[in-house]
Amino acid sequence: MKHISCLLLSLLLGLLVSADPKYKELLNLQPLNPASLLASFNFKSNASLQSYEQQHFKYIPRSLGQILQHAKTRELHLRFSTGRWDDESWGARPWGGTKEGGTGVELWAWVEGDSDADSFARWVTLNNALSGLFCASLNFIDSTRSTRPRMTFEPASSVFNASSENLYLLHGSLPREVVCTENLTPFLKLLPCKGKAGIASLLDGHKLFDASWQSMAIDVRSVCPENGSECSIEMEQTVDMVLDVDRSKRPRDNPIPRPIPSEHLQCDQSKPYAGDEACYPSDANLGQSWTLAEIFGRPIQGSCLAEDSYGQLRDSVCINVPHEREVNLYGDAVETKNEAGTSRCFAIPASNPFELVLSHIGPQTFNKVSQPPLYASRSFTGHGQERGGVQTLLTNPSTSSSIQFVYFETLPWFMKPYLHTLTARLTTASTTSPDIIEETFYRPALDRRRGTQLELLISVPADSAVILTYDFDKAILRYTEYPPDANRGFDVAPAVIRLLPSSGNSSSNSQAPLYIRTSSLLLPLPTPDFSMPYNVIILTSTVMALAFGMIFNLLVRRFVGADEVEGWNLAALKAKARGRVAVLVDRVSGKGQKLEKTVQ
Amino acid sequence: MAQGIDAGPEDANFKVASSPANAQKQPPPESPKSIKTRGFVILSFWAVVLLLGLPVWLWTTSIHRARLPLQHMLDWADGKTCKPTFPLQITIEAPFLQEPEAAHLVRMTQHALDDLNEFSAHHLRLRLAKSFLSRDFQNASMTSIEDEYAIGPLTQFGNTDGLDEEALTVRLQPQPGAQTARAELQSHSTRLDVFYVSHQSPSVSSSSSTLATFIATKLQELFAEEQAIVAYILQSAQTMGHAPQISSSASSASREFRSRSHRSLNPELAARLDSRMTRSLKYAPTYHITVSLFTPSAAPSSWEIELALAEYFTPLLDSISGVSNFTVDTQVQLYATFSPSVHSPEYDAEQQIWTLREEDLSGFINAAEWPLSPSIGAGPTLNFVLYVPDRSTSPLVVRGSQASSWLIPQWGGVVILNPQNANATLNEATLLKESIQPALLTFSHQLLSFLGAPQTPPSLPLQLQTLTRIRAASLLLSASSTMGSLAWVTVALPSIAIPETVSSAVDTTLGHLRSTCEALKEGRFKDALENARIAEIQAEKGFFEKSMVGQVYFPDEHKVAVYLPLLGPVGVPLVMSALKELRRLWASRKAGQPG
Repeated sequence: MKHISCLLLSLLLGLLVSADPKYKELLNLQPLNPASLLASFNFKSNASLQSYEQQHFKYIPRSLGQILQHAKTRELHLRFSTGRWDDESWGARPWGGTKEGGTGVELWAWVEGDSDADSFARWVTLNNALSGLFCASLNFIDSTRSTRPRMTFEPASSVFNASSENLYLLHGSLPREVVCTENLTPFLKLLPCKGKAGIASLLDGHKLFDASWQSMAIDVRSVCPENGSECSIEMEQTVDMVLDVDRSKRPRDNPIPRPIPSEHLQCDQSKPYAGDEACYPSDANLGQSWTLAEIFGRPIQGSCLAEDSYGQLRDSVCINVPHEREVNLYGDAVETKNEAGTSRCFAIPASNPFELVLSHIGPQTFNKVSQPPLYASRSFTGHGQERGGVQTLLTNPSTSSSIQFVYFETLPWFMKPYLHTLTARLTTASTTSPDIIEETFYRPALDRRRGTQLELLISVPADSAVILTYDFDKAILRYTEYPPDANRGFDVAPAVIRLLPSSGNSSSNSQAPLYIRTSSLLLPLPTPDFSMPYNVIILTSTVMALAFGMIFNLLVRRFVGADEVEGWNLAALKAKARGRVAVLVDRVSGKGQKLEKTVQ
Repeated sequence: MAQGIDAGPEDANFKVASSPANAQKQPPPESPKSIKTRGFVILSFWAVVLLLGLPVWLWTTSIHRARLPLQHMLDWADGKTCKPTFPLQITIEAPFLQEPEAAHLVRMTQHALDDLNEFSAHHLRLRLAKSFLSRDFQNASMTSIEDEYAIGPLTQFGNTDGLDEEALTVRLQPQPGAQTARAELQSHSTRLDVFYVSHQSPSVSSSSSTLATFIATKLQELFAEEQAIVAYILQSAQTMGHAPQISSSASSASREFRSRSHRSLNPELAARLDSRMTRSLKYAPTYHITVSLFTPSAAPSSWEIELALAEYFTPLLDSISGVSNFTVDTQVQLYATFSPSVHSPEYDAEQQIWTLREEDLSGFINAAEWPLSPSIGAGPTLNFVLYVPDRSTSPLVVRGSQASSWLIPQWGGVVILNPQNANATLNEATLLKESIQPALLTFSHQLLSFLGAPQTPPSLPLQLQTLTRIRAASLLLSASSTMGSLAWVTVALPSIAIPETVSSAVDTTLGHLRSTCEALKEGRFKDALENARIAEIQAEKGFFEKSMVGQVYFPDEHKVAVYLPLLGPVGVPLVMSALKELRRLWASRKAGQPG
């Protein structure tokens, strides 16, 4: 009896363990029409909160764990992004936009603290440490770039109640930061298999930063299961990228695109001018046939810790294509197809390389991309060196339901918005509609100390678009405040839009949040000539010297009549000079003679 | 001038012809008043320049330099102010001896010790146990004897209570039946048991005793290594402290001291101590220890490190926590490859082992890829790396010595964990705590040597006491030499600013250095360590003051570019007029003198 109960207990424990693996990774490949590929890498590590606090690190990396503990950060979200998500052709964003950031670097975290100042000091510590870890200029997130959003972000951890535990949310972004290989390398180092095995072996700076759009994300949060078992800390690393298939397939040693020979050219016969003479190359038929090695430069090197406690392999690669498409494998992997007919997944054994081929044989079909819930685009208006304006177009494509969202913007202090000019109107209406902006949270900027924070709760009715505009003034900076290459302009961080679940159905409260980010803006500011200080010094000095000389001469000189002056006697001077020259000539020639003598 | 006019008669004639009325017209003579006024004008301009302009310029461009007690700082660096001494108090308990006998024995042992000891800065002082005295009826006479030895060399410090920390207790016990005396050191306390043959106990009248000599030799043996280390530290501080010498008076006292300490160190021992000292870490109140598991493949991916640490490592840390605090963290790193500069292991078919070249050991740690960054927070990090080789390249050892562990000075230690036999289940996913045990024991030894603990005597409390003294001495010397360097920097770079914080840090440092020195002399070694620690922290704070290190670079070209446009046009008329005026004055004086 005892034995049986023991057995049962161990089985139960085993089940619990297998239900919550300490590390798992998944690559999701989603071919996009016509010639793009969305690759979503997801790495999830877990550790019990107890071992994390005692600094016994296993899959949660020590370097990051210690930084978070040192800065008393309970939840961290860090994003590195480049490019623009083309939602017209690619549809809704992966992960509902929760795993992406604005262009450049974006960071938000819940930091413990007794007061605002205390939490800010820890925030600065956190930024400095992360800056060193990720080789990014995160240390430039100072008070002017930090905000405390009210409505835009919600903690993803299940343990804490932000207000009761003295947790402060801080948000900062660096739109100017160029994300590159030096950020990917530390990102890969945080993984248990370091990009040497598993799907991370596909990640290569040359391919990742050549993508049309890419976003690297790190999320650390704590999770407490509802059944009351031990809390754990969860770290999720995500890399999403949209690759141009044709561009990626170019060999690395010969990356220049060449014209396709005419016999291989596929013409779009639907064009009216199509015929024997004219050919409009059709990219639809170039299609999507590729192998992993073609796209990423190498096949997957086995799997990383994919075995669960029973020795079963977990799925590590999924490809989202209809079942009628032909997908071939090299390497012994186990294939599972989902019931909806839209995707298939592969479990890869640990040691063998794995290669996947999306064949060009058979129907070239794609899964339908879902429509994004909102289109947002932001741009500058206005002209001149002094005044400008911002205009945001927010379109609700849904024909049936209205949409409600939080629009969050941080503006640098040198961009001074006039809130009274903030208007929202439907594109169809000519006057402003007061009921579009439901709530406003505005924190004005202080010169050189903090930026503007603007959070708006906006609702857009079904099948309509809203234009949000406001005007601003451009400040003139001090000489030393201009960055290098000041004439390029100043980057303004992207706006963050958090879509709220529609109030109609209450069940959707539990659904995952959806985020959208606009692109960043480039603000031209009046820029001085940087040799100015020296010019000023020299000009001032000249004026002062002139004034001084005049006064001094007036006081010191003796004034006499013009006819009383002893004029310059030109002839005398000439004679004198001639005499000098003659003497010199004599001396030189005399010396020459002497020299000749000595030589002889 | 007149000559010039005469030289051109044609011109003159022409001029005369054209306008004969204007020729040779002289200006009216200047009135003396206007000449005087002009003189005053020039003088007042110069007065404004010199009395107002120059001071304002100097004042606005001057750099704030706080006053530093430079001479004191240099004296500390030269070792003129403090010669650290280490009087160690040793209590002798002899419950089975008569008082006069015991006192006599103590006196003779002391004499023998003094004869044996060549290094006067570190000396052992014996005294009889107080409990023993109080038990005795002839209390008064004993106290006088005790005073003779305890106070004798230390009269300037007032009383014996200064020596409150006793380093060692020697307990004398007669052992009937034994032929020779025998000493036994308790490994977990500071007690030395001496078992003597009863007939060896000296009578009051005898002038020499085998027991006294025996005890003295034993004590000397116990503290020989400590003495050598202290001598080494003092000596190296003397030789290094003189590098940035600006006060040319290389003190004769220190030179004498150096020669004296040289005498007590033979080169062999010095070299050994040298390597040990370069290996050990600088003292810090907190050390971080990172224990990492590295493996070139995916297994083992976990280890029972928490249990193993609790069992094999934490007890040691607890026992040395009096000296420093330790934090321990662990990590597992899979797929850790060697750096490309290292030769991959070679197979030795004869012995069926894989070998690493000895010269590759320094590059064994792949600093570029292995995440062994220092821990966050104050204090240095010690890395202990447990490397489990891949099954295909095990067992892996160092060529030649066949060792599987080594030290990297001031950084950490490496242990290669090979499976016990080829079929062992070591390369399974989990490392059991039993298989980590040998590695952790190696790490413990390595840790002690990183802390600079001596290898003898075998008693841990004694080792820790020694560690306290060594640390206090080295901190004292390092803070002193920092003071010297700061003074030197201050003198050598006149353009750096010295804020008040540096000055106050220097004052605190000097104060604590003084109390360290006193505490050392009085034998209060824990106090000394505490003070030396503060002195070191303050000294570093002063030396690495941010505003001082980051001095503004303002090259001379910029100065010229800024000053010249103003000073050139203004200065030339001023100087020329001053010269003219001076020439006039000189001429008038010359003219006045003969006239």
